[in-house]
Amino acid sequence: MKKPGLTFYRGAAIMVIVIFVGLQMISPNIENPPVTSEIAVPAEVKQILERACYDCHSNEAKVEWFDKIAPASFLVAHDIDEARSRFNFSEWDKNPTAVQELLLWEMVNAIEQEKMPLKRYTLAHSGGKVTASELAVLKQYVNTLPGRHKVDTARIVARTSVNQKASTQKTPVSLNNIPYSSDYKNWKIISVTDKFDGGSMRIVYGNDIMVKAIEKRQLPFPDGARIVKVVWGKQAEDKDGNVRPGNFQNAQFMIKDSKKYSATEGWGFAKFDGLDLKPAGKTVLFEQTCANCHRLLAPENDFVFNIPTK
Amino acid sequence: MKAIISLYIIALALFIMSCDDHNTANLAPEYLYDAGNQKVIKSILNNKKGTIAMLYGNDLALQSAHDSLPKPNIGAHYTLVTWKQKPMPQWYGTNMNGEIYSIETLKIVKRNKTELTFDYEFQIGKGYKPADWQSEKSQRISFITSQRAAIFP
Repeated sequence: MKKPGLTFYRGAAIMVIVIFVGLQMISPNIENPPVTSEIAVPAEVKQILERACYDCHSNEAKVEWFDKIAPASFLVAHDIDEARSRFNFSEWDKNPTAVQELLLWEMVNAIEQEKMPLKRYTLAHSGGKVTASELAVLKQYVNTLPGRHKVDTARIVARTSVNQKASTQKTPVSLNNIPYSSDYKNWKIISVTDKFDGGSMRIVYGNDIMVKAIEKRQLPFPDGARIVKVVWGKQAEDKDGNVRPGNFQNAQFMIKDSKKYSATEGWGFAKFDGLDLKPAGKTVLFEQTCANCHRLLAPENDFVFNIPTK
Repeated sequence: MKAIISLYIIALALFIMSCDDHNTANLAPEYLYDAGNQKVIKSILNNKKGTIAMLYGNDLALQSAHDSLPKPNIGAHYTLVTWKQKPMPQWYGTNMNGEIYSIETLKIVKRNKTELTFDYEFQIGKGYKPADWQSEKSQRISFITSQRAAIFP
């Protein structure tokens, strides 16, 4: 074996330069589309969002010179595309009001759990960090949103013959092929919750496989585990402080099958709205919306929020 | 040349640092309650007391609660499990059940032709504090028997 001579190193250096220059030529351009409907929030909240989130989650990205150098530029472009697809402060009205509220609570949680802003972003843009006092400002703000104190004052509607017909005639099936089934009524309860951010209360059922896994402290949950969350509005508090369930809102299913649902972290998600159990979602992409939030905030729970943990 | 290499190293380091460490949650099966064959009647929140409860019942209890009968069925058995509320660890915006606070059971027994007897028991759970104020037994019985069942699809 001859030792590689100077020509080898020179050749290698030229190669590296050629690749580097080539990469710059195909480096993605980060565009800022026009702002169509910017989020309207109090100034002290806006300031935090602009500094920590706008570089990716808006059409006003301030791209630094070093963000434009390949290969970093590919990562930056990818992150901005991904961020805008999740939510975009410059096109805020594209989301229905209820979704806007949910997104704001999700942001607070992502910041609190240090999942956002992305570490790789704050490393290169130190101004992007959110301090504890800023997080407190954001928390205070989400607690002023209408969902926070929503009371279900409507007359409580039981199943009518119409619903009855709808549910006995045809089993509702979600867009990702999960059929509604009322088996859960014979399952055990794994948790009971007060989702005060949106004014609802929930009972969460688990099938035997799910309950046994919790009892054995087995994570991740085995295939065949099933969870059903039944959601009601909240009636006004009585004089003793009791809050009782109002109208039925929806039933949400999670089914563990690591192969079949590998694209959504091994869980099949479905939601059936109202007493006629209309499958939620406009396209099959709805399941990605579920999975995105579970993936971001509950990875250490095998992506399940509603389980008893210390 | 050095600049290019260091840029690559920085990019690589950023990639590696962006990986999340996967901690595993500490499951708490002691918060589960097995109501046996009893069915769910409803859940009840109480933010003044910081509790969250589940009312279960056998078929006769469920029927009484469902039809809002003026008097509960003889043979109705109820279980009211109350937990201390705790914030959901992964989601600021939700409170959930933590330690079991108390377990109340109620059986409606026939004493004679016209009268009912209420067989009521109060058991304490881990989250119970002896100093806590307790309602009268009769109040608890009327609270349990007056609950309407939640609407299910």
